[in-house]
Amino acid sequence: MSSQPLVLGIETSCDETSVGIVRGRTLLANVISSSVEEHARFGGVVPEIASRAHLEAMPNVIAQALEAAQVSLRDLDAIGVTAGPGLIGALLVGTSAAHGLALALDKPLYGVNHLSSHIAVDALDESKPLTPAIGLLVSGGHSSIIEVQDMARGVRVLGGTIDDAAGEAFDKIARILELDFPGGPAIDRLARDGDPNSINFPRGLADSEYDFSFSGLKTAVSRYLQQTPQAHRADVAASFQEAIVDVLLTKALKACAETGLETLIIAGGVAANSRLRTEALARTQAAKIELRTPPIGLCTDNGAMVAALTSLAVSAGVAPSTVGFSTLSTVPLDQPVWL
Amino acid sequence: MTTILAIDTSTDRTTVGLVVDGVSASELHHDDPLAHGEVLPKLVNQILESDPHIDVVAIGMGPGPFTGLRVGIAFGQAFALAKGIPWVGVSSLAAMAHVHDDKEFIVAIDARRRELFCEHYLDGKLYAPSRTLQKEELEGFSIQIYKEPPTSLAIAQLATTSLSVLEPIYVRKPDAYPAPKGVKFRPWTHIDLVSIYALEKSIYLDDPWSLGQFKEEFSGSGRQYLVAEFEGKVVGYAGIMSAGDVTDILTLTVAPEFRRRGIAREFLKRMIDWSRNQKVEAMMLEMRVGNAEAEPLYLANGFRKIAERADYYGPGLTAVVMRKELRK
Ligand SMILES: [Zn+2]
Repeated sequence: MSSQPLVLGIETSCDETSVGIVRGRTLLANVISSSVEEHARFGGVVPEIASRAHLEAMPNVIAQALEAAQVSLRDLDAIGVTAGPGLIGALLVGTSAAHGLALALDKPLYGVNHLSSHIAVDALDESKPLTPAIGLLVSGGHSSIIEVQDMARGVRVLGGTIDDAAGEAFDKIARILELDFPGGPAIDRLARDGDPNSINFPRGLADSEYDFSFSGLKTAVSRYLQQTPQAHRADVAASFQEAIVDVLLTKALKACAETGLETLIIAGGVAANSRLRTEALARTQAAKIELRTPPIGLCTDNGAMVAALTSLAVSAGVAPSTVGFSTLSTVPLDQPVWL
Repeated sequence: MTTILAIDTSTDRTTVGLVVDGVSASELHHDDPLAHGEVLPKLVNQILESDPHIDVVAIGMGPGPFTGLRVGIAFGQAFALAKGIPWVGVSSLAAMAHVHDDKEFIVAIDARRRELFCEHYLDGKLYAPSRTLQKEELEGFSIQIYKEPPTSLAIAQLATTSLSVLEPIYVRKPDAYPAPKGVKFRPWTHIDLVSIYALEKSIYLDDPWSLGQFKEEFSGSGRQYLVAEFEGKVVGYAGIMSAGDVTDILTLTVAPEFRRRGIAREFLKRMIDWSRNQKVEAMMLEMRVGNAEAEPLYLANGFRKIAERADYYGPGLTAVVMRKELRK
């Protein structure tokens, strides 16, 4: 197989229907169709609406990605698709479409881990060599610190959230503050007018090595709002955000120091948070660690990250998944490609 | 020579077949209501081993349970796209009816939740269009009811008629309904009490809470009451209180003209969040037996019936007690 495989990746684990195309580590196309506006009315993702929207969008999104990349399906070397974790009904639309393409074209199909792909999107920055790194994966469904030696073959999970994911905490606090869904961008915006040091919210599990807990923080914020009805909401948002950012970065940098790895990759939807990005830059510079954050457009769920991980797997000689592999709502992070 | 790859996933059965010039060349199927996603690619892979040239993909578009149905459609459309050939959707119920020639019969697909998607045929024609019936409703019928899943041959044969179907046939709306634009949820204030009482009286005709009771609730501790407001008017309210290790839902009421729009669901979601923040073990509620509108909402949100209390709401009015565990 070519060392620059042409790969199409499909992502449908939540509310984005997305198809990306890469050649080796070069991004050729990334088309995203989102049903987030429909979900905003419910304050959360509704699985049945997401699945319907995926099915409606899929043929167009594939066609648009091929058009943007200026390639045809026959040129592909492999197809990748998110196999989990995610909403089962939503995942099945993607894996079924991917199987349809792969069987019709007689091309290898890779069912890949959504979480690993969030980190693997970093490989699309061709200016940087692929080096072992610490990955901080922060999204609506996951918050984990992982040691990445080889993205295509497996990663080692050092720690993660024991309750709410970071993105989930943002959504819940946004609801308490009566902000829009999704909560991350809304809090990020409101926090710009607030003082991040005005309220000292608890940093969950500060003593435990690499695990986080955000439910205590969430309770503290809602109790604070109940007890202080006149609170300046921007200060609350900024202080809450500060607490999350502080915990995430403290633990991630500790992992760098203890493993001796000099690169930190921050990925996942919450990596788009402006405060996290600024603070990460300052702290990694101070610690002489190289910081890598994907462009904001590649932080949230997308097909390019699936294609990126698949491309790495193809280049590394990883075997394709068996036809008819299962989708799973939860999967261990250390298995990048399905058997 | 025209070869059709026919696919149907509208029932518990996943069916795949090759039909050449109107004659079935091969068919594979597997019965499993939860495995369409795994089974379909395997069956297609197997049937393609003879390396046929395929001209058209025919897809059963339902009606059928959503998740399985979408597997067949997503797969079939992508397969056709990759081959550069057309796909044709057909009604899975019509395909089931296609193989029968009785004077009168019904074809039915299991829709889950004790319901069936049915079509009634008379003298070779569709007599009553597709509809959802309770299983019990069909039991008294003397007409023949056919439930065998569609064959690949019937799917392929229908695909060559003009009866094509372009969209998946969803018989049910998604479980969630959009809240009407402009509905705002907020904690209640003193000023809401009169509007709430007016709504209460109009709904619970025989046994409403009095204005005095609402005032007592308002000054009571450990309670959380919310109102839903549309254009300045209270269109629903919900209240919950913490009672030791559990929280107790006191009321959840939505004006009739605003029902089925996700307002009750939103109230319940907020009450569940509130209860979780109270770190209680469980949520409880009492509800009238046969409250057909509320019960599915609670069941879908993890509440289970734990007891009945006779005469709770007055003579002959039994209450059902429901509980949702919050700690594992
Ligand atoms: Zn994600």
